[in-house]
Amino acid sequence: MMSLVERLERNAVRAPDAEALVHNEERVCYGQLWRHVRATCVFLRRQSLPRQARVALLLHNSIPYVTAYYGALAAGGVVVPLNTGAKAIDITNWLAHCQAGWLFLDVTHPEAAAVQQWCEGRVKIIAVNGTAAGTFAWSQVPASNADNVTGFDVGDPDQLATILYTSGTTGRPKGVMLSHGNLAANIDSILAYLGLGTHDRVVSGLPFYYSYGNSVLHTHLAAGACVVMEDNLLYPHRVLARMQQERVTGLSGVASTYALLLSRIAFDQYDLRALRYLTQAGGHMPTTHVERLQQALPWVRLFVMYGQTEASARLSYVPPERLHEKLGSAGIAIPGVTLDIRDESGAALAPHQIGEIWARGANVMLGYWDDPAATRQTLVNGWLKTGDMAYRDAEGYLYIHGRRTDMLKSGAHRIHPHEIEAAIAELEGVHDVAVVGAPDEILGQVVKAYIVPSPGAQLDAMRVKAHCRDRLATYKLPKFIDFVAELPRTATGKVKKFMLETGIS
Amino acid sequence: MTDTIKKRIREFVLSNYLFTNDPSALHDDESFMKRGIIDSTGVLEVIQFLNDEFGVTVTDEEMGPENLDSVISLAGFIQSKDAKTKALSA
Repeated sequence: MMSLVERLERNAVRAPDAEALVHNEERVCYGQLWRHVRATCVFLRRQSLPRQARVALLLHNSIPYVTAYYGALAAGGVVVPLNTGAKAIDITNWLAHCQAGWLFLDVTHPEAAAVQQWCEGRVKIIAVNGTAAGTFAWSQVPASNADNVTGFDVGDPDQLATILYTSGTTGRPKGVMLSHGNLAANIDSILAYLGLGTHDRVVSGLPFYYSYGNSVLHTHLAAGACVVMEDNLLYPHRVLARMQQERVTGLSGVASTYALLLSRIAFDQYDLRALRYLTQAGGHMPTTHVERLQQALPWVRLFVMYGQTEASARLSYVPPERLHEKLGSAGIAIPGVTLDIRDESGAALAPHQIGEIWARGANVMLGYWDDPAATRQTLVNGWLKTGDMAYRDAEGYLYIHGRRTDMLKSGAHRIHPHEIEAAIAELEGVHDVAVVGAPDEILGQVVKAYIVPSPGAQLDAMRVKAHCRDRLATYKLPKFIDFVAELPRTATGKVKKFMLETGIS
Repeated sequence: MTDTIKKRIREFVLSNYLFTNDPSALHDDESFMKRGIIDSTGVLEVIQFLNDEFGVTVTDEEMGPENLDSVISLAGFIQSKDAKTKALSA
């Protein structure tokens, strides 16, 4: 196994002047990046960072994010990237849950003041993009002289490397524990099928705190390639202009990335001859979009992929040469992964029978942080129960058929309806509430809330949305709100969400 | 004129993205993107609003933060489009 830190060092030694990261006008090559990573590591060690201490990041995609990530790993820490869209209540809940010792904090973040206040006496802060009283300044960190320092912690395969949180406030946070070995194994598999090399330059706007963005970052750095960070895809023409200007060879996105590009972009107006591959994961992409992308960019290899955070990101992919005949499929297992379809008793199912996807491989997580019960439910005899339902065709290609849970997918985000239901239920005058996904052309799904008001209550949609805005990340806000007399329920009292999703209220 | 345009834009953003009537909840120079007010579909909605409310069509080249990312930039953009239209028809 070659860990992330070892790969970065190897690439820095081999090609110190090769470009590693581009963010707006900032550029950094492998040699510089490695120097800054070492300096960060030395700084943390001088502050007596204990081995396996949790080092959280509340940073947008940026060069400091990457430097802090690798620096904390090299110092023997466990990196906990936090969702920058979250409110302070979620952020502090995660910090408390993982018992973070350190936090790299973007002081321009809208929740920074509240987070900093909570951290006082609990978590040491390194302030990025400014200074704040009682914190260390990021600007001082790269000054730490690390030229003669050796013995960086490269990470044992079974040693915890990162915790990725997949849910927020309500109930227990779920922190997926990934080891150095998990990350390394998934990187090797992805490098094998994507064929990445030092010549590659990928554009990505995927947040690094999600497993897909995390995977795109580390696979490309492992390959000695360059990652061009796009802050957002709000302005798709600017993204395409950037791709042309940077002679980008790859683009990584979710289904909504491509839906947005297809709705706004005439690809033939840009010089995209350098473009070699597109990757898509994070939820089903409509087959019409797959076909339109292939028509618009016939020389480009489109990789449709499937995975989950618990598998360090990736589980399956469709080889591009089979994409046309396997439309709608999530593909075959990536190298090093075994996939099975099983019934509720755990017995293997024959082709074309729908069951749960079970996965096994060196990329499968260690478990959930401080949650042995959830770990036992999800990891069974070395297999990961994904919670996703699917069948396989005679050739072993997977076709996903929904999830066992009612989680929504909106753009790059996973949303647990119960978090929104709990927030709405706090409002006076709400008797009952259920949240489901409503179809959206670009985002796949948006949040829709059905609310039963208490008798005589004065509720309106604006008040509910304003209340949610105070408590929830922007992407969790209900787009639609319907007030109804009652919610359809089963005989046992469970809300029939499928009826709400199909518009029968 | 500018004040009327700004007022209308502010009302649109306040009611559709911040869910309030309180004008102090949004400063004219605040970045929609940095404050997390508007996402990628929100930008498309803003473009639709410009068309419906002011008859302004946004070209591909104009679709950027310098024109669409704050009350001030939107108001300036609408006025420049208006001036261009008048110049062309003069």
